[in-house]
Formats: sequence, structure tokens, C-alpha cells
Amino acid sequence: MASPSNIVQGMSGSGGRGRAGASAISRASLAPFYLLGPAYLWLLLTIFLPLSAMLLFSFLSVAPFGGREAEFTFRHYAAFMDKEFYRTLTWRSLKLGLDVTFWCMVIGYPAALALARHVPGRWREALFLLIVLPFWSNALVRIFSWTMVLRGGGLIDQSVQVLWPEAPSLGILFSYPAIVVGLVHSFLPYMILTCYLSLQAIETSLEEAALSLGASPLTVFRRVTLPLSLPGLLVGVVLIFVPVIGSFMEPRILGGPEGIMLGTVIEDQFTVVFNWPLGAALSFILLAIVLLLMAIAAPVLGRPLAAATGR
Amino acid sequence: MAPILLRSVLVLVLIFLYLPLGVMAVMAFNQSPLYAMPMVFDTIWFERLAGNERLVGAGLNSLAIALANTAIATALGTMAALAFQRYRFRGATLLQILLLPPITIPWLIIGTAMLVLFFWTGIGRGLHAILLGHVALSLPYVIVVVGARLRSFGVTLEEAAATLGAGPWTTFRRVTLPVIAPGVVAAALFAFAVSFDQFVISYFLAPPGVSTLPVEIYSAIRKGFTPEINAISTVIILVSMGLMLAVARFYRFGGER
Amino acid sequence: MSAVEVHETVKRYGAVAALDRVTLRVAEGEFFGLLGPSGSGKTTLLRAIAGFVMPESGEIRIDGQRIETVPVHKRGIGMVFQNYALFPHLSVFDNIAFGLQVRGIAKAEITERVAEALRLVRLSGLEERRPRQLSGGQQQRVALARALVTRPKVLLLDEPLGALDKRLRQEMQVELKQIQRTVGITTLFVTHDQEEALTLCDRIAILSEGRLMQIGPPAQVYEHPQSRFAAEFLGEANLFCGSVERGAAAGGKVRTTAGVAVESALPPPDGEAILAVRPEKIQLVDPAKDAPARANRVEGRILRSIYSGSSIAYRIEIPGQELTVFEQNRAAAPRDAGAAVTLFWAPEHSIWVTP
Repeated sequence: MASPSNIVQGMSGSGGRGRAGASAISRASLAPFYLLGPAYLWLLLTIFLPLSAMLLFSFLSVAPFGGREAEFTFRHYAAFMDKEFYRTLTWRSLKLGLDVTFWCMVIGYPAALALARHVPGRWREALFLLIVLPFWSNALVRIFSWTMVLRGGGLIDQSVQVLWPEAPSLGILFSYPAIVVGLVHSFLPYMILTCYLSLQAIETSLEEAALSLGASPLTVFRRVTLPLSLPGLLVGVVLIFVPVIGSFMEPRILGGPEGIMLGTVIEDQFTVVFNWPLGAALSFILLAIVLLLMAIAAPVLGRPLAAATGR
Repeated sequence: MAPILLRSVLVLVLIFLYLPLGVMAVMAFNQSPLYAMPMVFDTIWFERLAGNERLVGAGLNSLAIALANTAIATALGTMAALAFQRYRFRGATLLQILLLPPITIPWLIIGTAMLVLFFWTGIGRGLHAILLGHVALSLPYVIVVVGARLRSFGVTLEEAAATLGAGPWTTFRRVTLPVIAPGVVAAALFAFAVSFDQFVISYFLAPPGVSTLPVEIYSAIRKGFTPEINAISTVIILVSMGLMLAVARFYRFGGER
Repeated sequence: MSAVEVHETVKRYGAVAALDRVTLRVAEGEFFGLLGPSGSGKTTLLRAIAGFVMPESGEIRIDGQRIETVPVHKRGIGMVFQNYALFPHLSVFDNIAFGLQVRGIAKAEITERVAEALRLVRLSGLEERRPRQLSGGQQQRVALARALVTRPKVLLLDEPLGALDKRLRQEMQVELKQIQRTVGITTLFVTHDQEEALTLCDRIAILSEGRLMQIGPPAQVYEHPQSRFAAEFLGEANLFCGSVERGAAAGGKVRTTAGVAVESALPPPDGEAILAVRPEKIQLVDPAKDAPARANRVEGRILRSIYSGSSIAYRIEIPGQELTVFEQNRAAAPRDAGAAVTLFWAPEHSIWVTP
């Protein structure tokens, strides 16, 4: 019951008392801004100013270095619209994102379910750690390790040739599937992590209640467990899809000539072709796609972050 | 039936996750530079590694940047976490939303944007620029991890210290800091890992002739790899995993300490 | 001079008044209870005295000095928190020594005073333990020792026994009272447990929705509640509402709409009033027997009984309403539901309260 007295208790009682108390001590003080200043100045210099500079850059005809005069132009954005190449490229990156996310979902959710529901407690923590561990090890090195396995004459080929020496090479290195395998390997732990956390948060008594009401285990999963764990799945989807469409190192190493994506083309603009304004424009188109996705997913994404930072 | 099926998915996932790392580690001990089978055990590639000045130099750069990043990000992030958890002020929500871009915008975009601005303003490329970028990426993690620890303890302990006569600074030094120490250590290890493993940002901000370990490895892979890369990669994997095991220890068991 | 003085203190959260012009004085050495339901403002008042809540207006004095602008750590208070707030990273010794250390007191004296404080709460020998190695009762005592060792002017207790189970709670009540007497410290004690307040406090203040309802010694507040809220919050009360009639002598009477007339020996106050009667003041007899003269007498029928060992609570239907009556468990068996009974009580036990 939300009576006025309850609201007061909420503010002076255990829940909100901390903030009320702390703010009373430091009322009208500038302390929080001194504390936040250094961190946010840093972020301003390294995130927000660069993004603004790049937006500006994407409208310049040439990079304004070495005395060159730059003019304001929509040319790079127009190029994106006109040329079939860029649209194909964007579609390739999006398709890669969809494929990788799909496989992460299909493999990751059941794995998370198994971990959360069918692994005894003392094993669960260790297994969870084992799954998350690779995620925090070097991404580049992990992608590199797949070249050992996927290359012609690599582990797969050699295993097969032990049984059938004349077998043709099955090496799939430098192909689209190789990129997908490498990226799924990179991001699968993310999906398992987010799904597992939201599955863990479901009170088992809810599932027990559904069983006691006569629902079969499958119905319980369909009507209780799955809907309640959906936010975790969705967070996983966004957190995988976004970096995958911006990937360039993985397609480069595992895809070879097949690995041309929006990301690799942007990389080339900055490191090989030195057409920075075009690179900036392509980066911004990528960013626009990302922001659009985030805006759609914001209600779901906001909650875990809010929980973590305290709002 | 279903549990068995689910458990086997879990087992397959673990094999999938560790198989390539295992192959890479084993191949680092293969004498043949062409990874020929049957394997002949040798530590030659690790010896070569020790003599490879480029890789060792890059490794030292990585280490120096990771350490500096850890110190800066942990200090600034802990301060910000304190502000969020212990004060109420206008704009707090907006400031917290601003922590999202460094985590969620693809590094490719952030890295190229930094390149543009730093080049333009004269900050330039180099280790200092890489450090600037790494701290930006680490800050949100530190703020979240330390913030969670601060929040789980609430302000009662600090209030108790005040009633016992401790001023704000004494309270911070003798109560708040010791109590959140496990969270701060976990955050510091996180920051170290973020920096030590970071490739994309470093790649765009490294001028010719200066590089970090991942950047050096990337160019080596693109030139055609050698087993030395296997050896250094194996070392990196072991270091990062050891680091994260340490994080897990502090983060998980920290609560009861 | 009062040790603690609160004068016309107001604190609002938005439109809601957590403290609505509260005024009270706590005497030197007094054990003073702040009693009220959740959200009554009792915790806010305690926290305002401690310095965690800034009142909007009014005055708060400790030892005659205004302290509204004094920061918490300079107010010279001792406080025991609901969950004790023991520092988890410090030993029992260091927890208790904390307040002395921040005051820069010499090591030898600290050791001596901590030992003395531990003796006071009977925990000598546990100096090196960590808080989590202690039982709830022991943690509570460490918190008390920590609050007392700095010799504060006032001791503030925020539901200090709330986290203990019933038996331990009763033990600690006795001990807390004893320690408070020994030290002679002025103590403000917040609780929502009426029995605890009645047992421990020299005087209690009842709060409701930020307002002070009544102040007085426990027996006075219990026997003579001034308001319906006080009557119902502290213990149970049967209420008789209806038209008030001034009696011929000193007393008065209420006639309910169902026609039941209840007499009081006390004169009715001006304005609206109702009569409250405590359930244990009512006696039950078989209808055949006579009630004493001058007593209020009502015929009723037992609806149900609630057995609780030493006493039995009966719910009884009388014309127009139901009453609760407590009877000592003296008979061989509880009275049967449906049985007719006669209820009587002395007019002295009908208390006028404001609605």
C-alpha cells in the first residue's frame, strides 16, 4: 500500500536512508562534481570530442592536413547511397551480425539453461568461470588460434587424414563460415553470461508453483522460464550484434579475401587508402545503425546498467 | 532426457571454447615451423621469442600502458563511483547514461574517431594516445564494479563512523576504503585486463615503429604467421586467464571479507 | 536543564511531513522511548538528533547547545544501528577503539577503556574476533560498547534489538536497561515494539504521521491514552462511540447507536470523545450471576476464543459491535463459543479518548 506514511518510511527507512542521510551531510556541496570531474573530462576528450570531430570530418572533401584546403561536402554520404558496393557491404556486415547472433542464441541459451538448472551447485560456479574466462582473454589471440584448427592441413584435416589418408582438404580457413565460427567463439560467452544471469534471477519457487498448478515441465519452461529470462537473451543479442557488425580484425584474419566487410573497408580508409573523410562517413553510418538498434533495445538494456550503477 | 541433452550442449560448448586454444598452445611446442605432424616437442619458439626484440619491446609497452591505465582508471573510476553512490545531484542519470558509449559503441568507431581528433589537435599518435584511449574504455567498468561494492555496503558503516567522531576524510580512509577494497582490487584487475588485451584502439593510435603486443601480433599474422606467435599468444592467454581468475576470487568472495 | 531538547522541529519529504512540529524534552539520565508504527517519524527524529537528517525548521539542543549546524562527527553522540553497523574489516577491539582512535587518545588509555567497555557488556576475551564470528547478541553488545566507550552525551538506539529472536531480545532488554542504569547515560530509544517500550523506558513518546501524540511514563500512557490512536497502538482497546452524556456526578457516559450505555468515572472532555476499555479490565461471568453494583454491565455471546497459554482472548458479540476480552487461564477449559456471558467492568476503566 502506497500510503503517504509508507513513502516517508521509504525515504527515512532502510531503503533510501543512505542517500537522504548522505545528501544531508553534503547538502548543496560541490563534492560530487569534483569527484566526477576528472573521469568525465577524460571521457570528453577521448570519446565525445573524437566522435564530434569525426562527424565534422565526414563532411569534409579531404583531410585538412599538410596545408590542404577542405571543403564542406555530402559527397561521402552520397557515395554510400549511390554505389551498389557500399550497400552490399553493409548488408554483408548485417548478415554476419545476424548469423553470429543466431548461432550464439541457439547454442548459448541451452548452455545457460543447463548451467542454471541442471548442474549441481559446487560445479556450477567453476563451470561458469570456465565459460566466461576466455571472454576476458585476448580476442585477437583467440581468433588467431582458429587458424590452427581451420587451415588446410590444420587439426581438422589431420584428424580426418588419420582415418582416410587420401581425403581432400576440409580446411575452411579464408571463407565466410570460418569468420562465423571465429566470431561465435568470441561472443558465445557473452550470450551464456547474460542468459545465465537472468535465469539465475528467476526464483525457483515460481517454477515450482507452476508445476504445482499442474503444468508439465515443458509448459513451465514455455510459460514461465522462457518469458522471464527473455530480457537476458535480448541483452545478449544486442551486445553481440553491435560489435559483430563493427568487426574488422576477425574477418581479416579468418576470411581472407572473403572477409571484406564494412569494418574492413573502414579500416582500409584509415590505414591503407588514407581517405579519412570517407572512413569517417562510413563509421558514422555504422554508428547510426548501432544507435538505432540501441534506441530500440534501450528499455531492456537500461535496466541492467541502472542496477549496476545504482539508479 | 532433456537434462542429459542440455548437459551435453554444455560439454560441447566447453570443448568448442577451449579446443583452438589448446591446439595453439600445443603447436607452440612443435619443432616444425609448418606445424607438421607427428609433433616433435621443442621449446625453440619460446627461446626465439625471448630473443625477438620487436615482440619483447611491444610486450613491455603493453605492460607499461596496462599498469599506467590500471592506476589512472582505478583512481578516477573509484572517485566517480563514490560520487554516484554517496551523493544525490542533478544530472546523475544523464552522466550514467554517458558511460554506455565507451562500452557499447564498436571499438572500430571509437578508435578511428580518436585517431581523427588526436591527429587533428596535435595530441598525435603514440603510447600516450593509446593510454588515453585505454583509460576511457576501462573507466565504465571500474565505476560499475566499485559502485556495486559501495552500494552493497550502503552508508550505515559510514554513518556509524561519523557518530563515533570520524570526519569525512577519516571515514573514507579508515572505513569506506578498507570495506570496498576487494571491489577496488577487482576493478583494477579488470582495468589491467581491458588494457592488456586491447587491440583495436591501440592499432589505430600506434604510429609506425611503436606498438603494443596485440598490434605486433596482428601485423605478424597478416604477414604470415610463425610459431613464435603461437608461443607469445600462449603466454598472453595464460596471463589474461590468470588475471581473470584473480578477479573472480576478489569479486565473488569479496562480499564476506 | 534537559539533556536533549527538540523544539517545533519540522522535516518534510515532498508534501509529506515526516516530523510535524515535534517538541519534547529528555531529562539527564533518562531512558526515553520513541514509539510508533512504520513511517511515524520516529527514526527521522532520531536521525535528526544524530545529524543525518536536516530539519527545515525548529531547534534541537544537546546539553543546552543548539546543534543543527554541527556535523555528525562533532555532536558527541553514541549510536547503535538497527543492524549494528560493525566494521567488518576490524576486530572487536578495533571496532570499539575506533571512536577513541579518531579522537587521538593515547594507546594505553584506549586499551584500558576498551577493556572496561568489554567488561561492561560482558564480552571480555573476544577482542580479536571479527564481527562475523560473533552471534547476533554478541554483535549487539559490541555495538553498544563501541557507542558507549567515547562517553557520549547522548546514546541513540535505532531499534537495536529488532534483529534478535524473541528470547534473546528479552534477555538483552534486561541487560540494556542495566547497562544504561550503570552508566547513567541519557538514552533515546526507537522501537515499534510496544511491549519493549513499556518494559524499558522511563518515559515514552508516541508518534503518528510525524506528530507527537502523547508523552508520559509507560503506565500513564497505557492506562490513560489520550487519543484513539494511542489506545489502539499501545495494547488493545475496545471502543464505544456514540452520544456523549455528562453525568450527574463527576463522570459521563456514552450511549451507542445500538443502545448500549457505558459509564466512565471521569468527566468527558469538550468536543468529540469516545470511550476506550482495555480487554483485560473486563470481567466475564455467567449471566445468572450478579455483577457488582456501580459496574458497567453488558450482555453478550461468545463468538470464538483464541488460546494463548497463560490467557485466553475472547471475541464477544454485544448489541451493535464486538468486543475483545482477555481472561486469565484459570478455568479447566475455555468457554464455549455461542455461550451467553455477562461482561462487567468498573467505570474507572472507561477512558475518554479523542477520536
